[in-house]
Amino acid sequence: MFSSLSRRRIVLLVVLTCLLLITLDKQGNPIIDRARRAFDILLSPADTATRAIVLPVERAWYGVSNYHDLERENAVLRDQIEHMKGSDIEARSAVLQYRELLKLDQLPSKWSYNVVTAEVVGASPGNYEQTVEIGVGSESGVEVGMPVTDGAGLIGRITRVYPSRSIVLLITDPTFAISARVLSTDDQVSTGDATTGATSTTVAPVPVVDPTVTDPLGPVAQATTTLPPVVRETGMLEGRGPRLTLVLRFTDNNSALTSLKVGAVVDTSGGTSSLAPQGIPIGIITAITRQSGNSTTLVEVRPNADLRRLNFVAVVLFKPNQQAIGG
Amino acid sequence: MVGLIALALQRAVFARHPIHDVKLQFVLALVAAAGVGGGAERGAVAGFALGLMYDLAGNTPLGLTALAYGLGGIVAGYLHAFTPDPQWWLAAIFATMGSAVGELCIPVANAITGESGWITGDILFAVPLVAVTSGLVCPLLLPTARWMTGSKRKKWKALSL
Repeated sequence: MFSSLSRRRIVLLVVLTCLLLITLDKQGNPIIDRARRAFDILLSPADTATRAIVLPVERAWYGVSNYHDLERENAVLRDQIEHMKGSDIEARSAVLQYRELLKLDQLPSKWSYNVVTAEVVGASPGNYEQTVEIGVGSESGVEVGMPVTDGAGLIGRITRVYPSRSIVLLITDPTFAISARVLSTDDQVSTGDATTGATSTTVAPVPVVDPTVTDPLGPVAQATTTLPPVVRETGMLEGRGPRLTLVLRFTDNNSALTSLKVGAVVDTSGGTSSLAPQGIPIGIITAITRQSGNSTTLVEVRPNADLRRLNFVAVVLFKPNQQAIGG
Repeated sequence: MVGLIALALQRAVFARHPIHDVKLQFVLALVAAAGVGGGAERGAVAGFALGLMYDLAGNTPLGLTALAYGLGGIVAGYLHAFTPDPQWWLAAIFATMGSAVGELCIPVANAITGESGWITGDILFAVPLVAVTSGLVCPLLLPTARWMTGSKRKKWKALSL
């Protein structure tokens, strides 16, 4: 074969075939999807065998080399759990109230959808794509585009689905983007009137039912107190690569600067064209910088989830529409 | 078969144990060894085939890693333009160059195809580390690579006058 074809012809053939395949795959080709599934079946025995050999060796090595570190980490984590127990009860109460309100308003949220728990079985083999592989696939109802979370928040979305495994594109990948909202209370808002000239800003006073006041006429007639207004800013959150914070872009940068502050919570905004239902936590704002020379504001968001130490995740069985997946 | 095992090793071992956040590329090292052992043509075909398997198993567009690894195999195989029976260190140098090209071509090709954010400062650290480690393991992988590509070791022949 090699003697009959000249070097230049082989090189040209390889390059042209690759370019053709890239073009076909980028446009979405069912034959390529089928080829991927077939190759997954072919690769799975080799994968299973390699893992069966490698994992016990790896675990034994970790057991020997990291024993003291693990003991220390365990003690620190126990201490953290004790500290978090108090705030957990408070948070649960707030979540229950929130769910009740959503139910009353018939708004869809992350609690409206079932989840499938999965183990992270592998990382991306390359140095550039930010993906992880999880051990559930189409057999468990997983589909392309579904959001994936861990205990701390959103970690990414499903990009490829095989019968028993799926690939998750992490939120730090430069190709990842999702609509997100920033929630901050009045005491977090820095300056200015948040409603002035802001197309994506809403200021909503939050009525809270006072549980100490009982009224025979029911909840409508109960006494209410008004908390400081909650500011909601909606923008597009994008990944920038490993070890880098996420960046939040707004349609109106002026509104973002006047109404946001470092430490504000960012979660998914939901909506018909979103990749995820409303209310999945993403992270907190770590920096707001106005870039010199133009009016662009860079809002940096640190993800809640530790993407380098993922063990178990949950796929939210939320089907985004095709436009959102394509975008 | 060799490709499947190499890919499984990459996914189970090297992808799970990065060195300073850089994942060493065992499959690319095998491609470079195939180029060094069999020449540019065999390197290109091995790179194309192994890269295609890489793309089929991963999240990259089909053909992207095949293109990068194919070019890496060609560069490593240019060794045969200088000598048919290279010393181990010369083989390692060409394997390093081939691996550097293969690793560098992935973000570059991605950027050319319209994906933004692939060319970052991380490349400056990832490419040399991947290339040097590939060069170091290349002499060990040469027999396997030669067997895989069906090439035989060429020797200098004395001219008979």
